[in-house]
Amino acid sequence: MNFFSSLSCARRAAIALLLLGTSASARAEWLFDVDAGALYDSNLNRAYEHADIRADAAIALHAAAGSFLALSGADGLTLSADARSDIYHRFHGLNLLGVGGTAVYRHKFGLGYAAPWILLSASAAHEDYRENLRDSDRAALRVELGRRFTETFDAAFGGSYDRRYGKNDSPVVPGTSGKVFDLRGQSAHVRVGYAVTDQLLLGAELAVRRGDVVATTRRDLQIFRASDAVAADPAFGNDFFAYRLRGTTDTARLSASWALDDRSSLNFAYADERTDAAGGIVYRSHSANVVLSWRY
Amino acid sequence: MRTSTLCAVAILAAGAAHAQAAEIAVTVTDAQGQPVADAVVVAVPADGNPQPPAKVERPRGGVVDQVDKEFTPKVTAILVGTAVTFPNHDNVRHQVYSFSPAKRFELPLYAGSPAEPVVFDKPGVVVLGCNIHDWMVGYVYVSESPYFAKTGRDGKALLAELPPRVYSVRVWHPQLEAAEETTRKSVDVSQSRRVDAEWKIALKREVKIRRAPAAEGRGRY
Repeated sequence: MNFFSSLSCARRAAIALLLLGTSASARAEWLFDVDAGALYDSNLNRAYEHADIRADAAIALHAAAGSFLALSGADGLTLSADARSDIYHRFHGLNLLGVGGTAVYRHKFGLGYAAPWILLSASAAHEDYRENLRDSDRAALRVELGRRFTETFDAAFGGSYDRRYGKNDSPVVPGTSGKVFDLRGQSAHVRVGYAVTDQLLLGAELAVRRGDVVATTRRDLQIFRASDAVAADPAFGNDFFAYRLRGTTDTARLSASWALDDRSSLNFAYADERTDAAGGIVYRSHSANVVLSWRY
Repeated sequence: MRTSTLCAVAILAAGAAHAQAAEIAVTVTDAQGQPVADAVVVAVPADGNPQPPAKVERPRGGVVDQVDKEFTPKVTAILVGTAVTFPNHDNVRHQVYSFSPAKRFELPLYAGSPAEPVVFDKPGVVVLGCNIHDWMVGYVYVSESPYFAKTGRDGKALLAELPPRVYSVRVWHPQLEAAEETTRKSVDVSQSRRVDAEWKIALKREVKIRRAPAAEGRGRY
């Protein structure tokens, strides 16, 4: 799918949302979110061998528009369409334009900010990369249970299922699929947030994901044999191959959010990720991002 | 002739009562000497009779509006037994509630104005919230005495039309660090028509749910 067809998808999603919002309720609350920032990943390609590791930074833009419908005092439904783009400094094959939509249903078990809540979310997106190998459709389901214990402290835990439908199948190893970016996985997470002051919000999250992971390597028959799919990956160079394995990824994430006013904030996040994949292969990466968020 | 005489006597009596009325000009500052807005000042006659003279009109209740997903005003002072209306001027619905012992109530999800105002029949502080927008917080101070006022941005308030007496005067604010009772002062307006009174109060940090967005930034596979 090219850039223009992605825009067409976004336009159709926006029109559908507009119609839904108009017909569902005249009292819908319109939401507009814009995030703009930069990210850095120390092991962008999840390489195993030190010599293969590639780090890079990117500019990341994200915009969403939608509406919130208060179905009752305890139930709310948020429908939104969004578009995102990542533009990398060195590895331009990873540049992407994505469009998608999300539906989030939230139910509060009682009255007041301290009432526990449950959130159910379904999302779908299409991602168009400059390097076609990565073009894919994504879908995710998420459930989360949470509670705000005080005005300044809240916690939540949950699980999710993610599915990525790879578009391209270009096998390079006989008998092994080339659909490297055809992935699925299940995750569980727990997170807490604490507002140190009116402006500063700190957060911490631990997550574990079991499922397919994609990494890249130079030609390595031992890795290829252990892989479920292998394909040439020119995004990192002509001698690189992307491969898919089953693995478990543990992520620890710390975040700090500085409120600029009621509608905007400056956010910093750092994540330490470790993946233990089939065959005893371990990937480590550290990533950080700075994002300016605005919401109307 | 007889009627006009009675009217003249009544007007003179009212004028005399008005002439005797006193006022307390209150200034509230914080520990740094900065003016404190939204402080409620309450004067209770020391003789224990809070009833105002019949001629003096007192606030009958209040209005707590909802604008841009905030309660406006943030602090409302009313006399016990009076009612407050909660019009919603946002183009979204709100569900206003309170768990406070002085008044527990819930206005089911609504837009515009709810059908019935809420009567506050016990003195005390009532904290308001919205079940849809958790960051919204407001306060209704229900005074047992008809003599109360709220400070403006300059930290000043005027307790007017007070019968000349000795009053026990206290100050309340949402961020007041100490108990309200510790602010109590005796103010005598039996001899002079106007008395200035100052309070320096320690305020704690305002603790409220943050409204600003936070980027999610979840990992991608």
